Amino acid sequence: MSETKIPVTVLTGFLGAGKTTLLNHILSAGHGRKYAVLVNEFGELGVDGDLVVDADEEVFETNNGCICCTVRGDLIRILGSLLRRRNKFDGIIVETTGLADPAPVAQTFFVDDNLREKARLDAVVTVVDAFNVSRTLDESHEAVSQIAFADVIVLNKTDLLDEAALEAVEARLRGINASVKIHRACHGKIALENVLDRGGFDLARALETMPDFLENNEHTHEEGVTSMSFSVSEPLDEQRFQAWIGALLQERGADILRAKGILHFAGQKERFAFQAVHMMADGDYIGPARAEEGQESRIVFIGRDLNRPQLRRGFESCRA
Amino acid sequence: MSAVAGEMTELLATRGAEKVFGSAVTAASCARDGQTFALGTVDGDIVLVPVAGLKHPETWTRVEAHDGAVLCLAPDTGKEGFLTGGEDNRLCRIGPDGTVTELHKGRRWVECVASTPGHIAFSAGKQLEIRDSSGETTLKTLEHPSTVTGIVFDTKGKRVAASHYNGVSVWFVQARVDTVRPLEWKGSHTAIAIHPGGEAIVTAMQENDLHGWRLSDGHNMRMSGYPRRVSSLSFTRNGRWLATSGADAIVLWPFFGGGPMGKPPTELARLPGVFCSAVCAHPKSDIIAAGFEDGSVLLAETGSERVLPICLGKRGRVSTLCFSPFGGMMVFGTEDGCVAAIDLSASD
Ligand SMILES: [Zn+2]
Ligand SMILES: [Zn+2]
Repeated sequence: MSETKIPVTVLTGFLGAGKTTLLNHILSAGHGRKYAVLVNEFGELGVDGDLVVDADEEVFETNNGCICCTVRGDLIRILGSLLRRRNKFDGIIVETTGLADPAPVAQTFFVDDNLREKARLDAVVTVVDAFNVSRTLDESHEAVSQIAFADVIVLNKTDLLDEAALEAVEARLRGINASVKIHRACHGKIALENVLDRGGFDLARALETMPDFLENNEHTHEEGVTSMSFSVSEPLDEQRFQAWIGALLQERGADILRAKGILHFAGQKERFAFQAVHMMADGDYIGPARAEEGQESRIVFIGRDLNRPQLRRGFESCRA
Repeated sequence: MSAVAGEMTELLATRGAEKVFGSAVTAASCARDGQTFALGTVDGDIVLVPVAGLKHPETWTRVEAHDGAVLCLAPDTGKEGFLTGGEDNRLCRIGPDGTVTELHKGRRWVECVASTPGHIAFSAGKQLEIRDSSGETTLKTLEHPSTVTGIVFDTKGKRVAASHYNGVSVWFVQARVDTVRPLEWKGSHTAIAIHPGGEAIVTAMQENDLHGWRLSDGHNMRMSGYPRRVSSLSFTRNGRWLATSGADAIVLWPFFGGGPMGKPPTELARLPGVFCSAVCAHPKSDIIAAGFEDGSVLLAETGSERVLPICLGKRGRVSTLCFSPFGGMMVFGTEDGCVAAIDLSASD
């Protein structure tokens, strides 16, 4: 992962969850860093030194004819222009509207060569209103997607619930997305390093700390959205893995919201960080494993109607 | 002057001049009287190159026109000066002396501008605004389904076409009641060109191909096979060829003999592995100017395949090229912030 690439943080969350408060907190935190912020409606933003650009969420379908392969053309245009300036920003924050599906935003960074070259999707941060989240998840398809897509959840308004209720909320969120990092907050106050510049999804740690006990808990709530992780301790054959994942995403990509993995390929010293959004996949070598991590490869799928035995057999068949 | 040390053999060194301004160049244009070139940068500056001082960069001036990048640039409606749009949501008029006059300020970036002697068209978000030649009076505001990504007038200035998601909208400039002629094709259209004889409109698309419509009957034309996204397209003066970037050569599509449908494109001036990043057809002869991502610039003749190198590499990706109205002079700019001008008519 090249450090010259500018990190992009996608900020999602339902209306009223505290997204704007968090954004203002980030921008006014006196971190000495400069952000370009893409917003959908001018709010009370506009801290000195930060560049705020008013954008319209313009989603288009790529011409492979598939409805899940959608992209934000406004991001390609606006970020394409901003990234021509050199050394002007430390990071970019893209705020989505409350009801937005995060997939097109994430997929934009897979599709456009120029953005791939100059920027990297750092993390999808979803702001969640702890008090109202259960009702929101019951009522809204988009809310489930926003949880499923998140690398980081800022669980806001935690002062309104007791510990038992908070734990129940967190359990429900992890039922959808077992690999997400949840930070409790109130009034959007959170240490910025938990949200910004996470260094490419913090994948290794996220997968490492993924609690195994949830894996057997296959909910059929949340429209069947759940997560499953698999590990093998022997190195993988790179070609076999690429062939398997390619075919899997082609066939089941509409239902696989996200897939992420840290993989050891036979004959490679460095680990490979893999990620996919629906049918679009990307990966990078991220340096050698620490000694205690061994040769284990791990992959997680977050999606609808996942077939555990099939996924396990597939992943295990990639062993070298 | 802080000229780049080029090879002595380069034509640019003997017939032109260059200067590094440091900010990536985004657009170039020549005034209608052919006396001044302008180039815009990502930092909002306009560099004015007077033709009289073409070989003397100390006479080139830099004007602060926008806060944020210059996104678009066109000759003004009159003989002199320019129109510029920027990331500061403004449309400005730049005089040949560097005077900046604000013509519009709104809530969206001014991403496209085009002009004829009689009209100005510019876009901000989904709106395309037509003004009279003074730039002071708005004649009409035309709404589009998504953000406008390119604007062209036809040769006579009677129609204006705007590219956006899922196609192009064609409007009559003088119509009392505005009815759009929609040219539809699913996907994101990112740049536009019109055949000089009004036979076709072509757009560049997000997915490494072109789409065209024959204007007589709306027939669709697909032009694909590019390894990269096409960012620059230009019809030759008589409309026989459409030149484009997007490959490691100039790609030329034939618009004669039934083409481009079913005809393979011709390639000129291949630089293996080095991608062409900007093209501009000569206004009077069958010549294409092409810039490459390594900073090389050359002229190529469409008939003979003869190539005349202007300069070789070392200047950063060429982002824009522009001829004077009669084609005797040319400027180009690069993403490394190099501005160069050359006199092609000089006989030393
Ligand atoms: Zn798809
Ligand atoms: Zn449940």
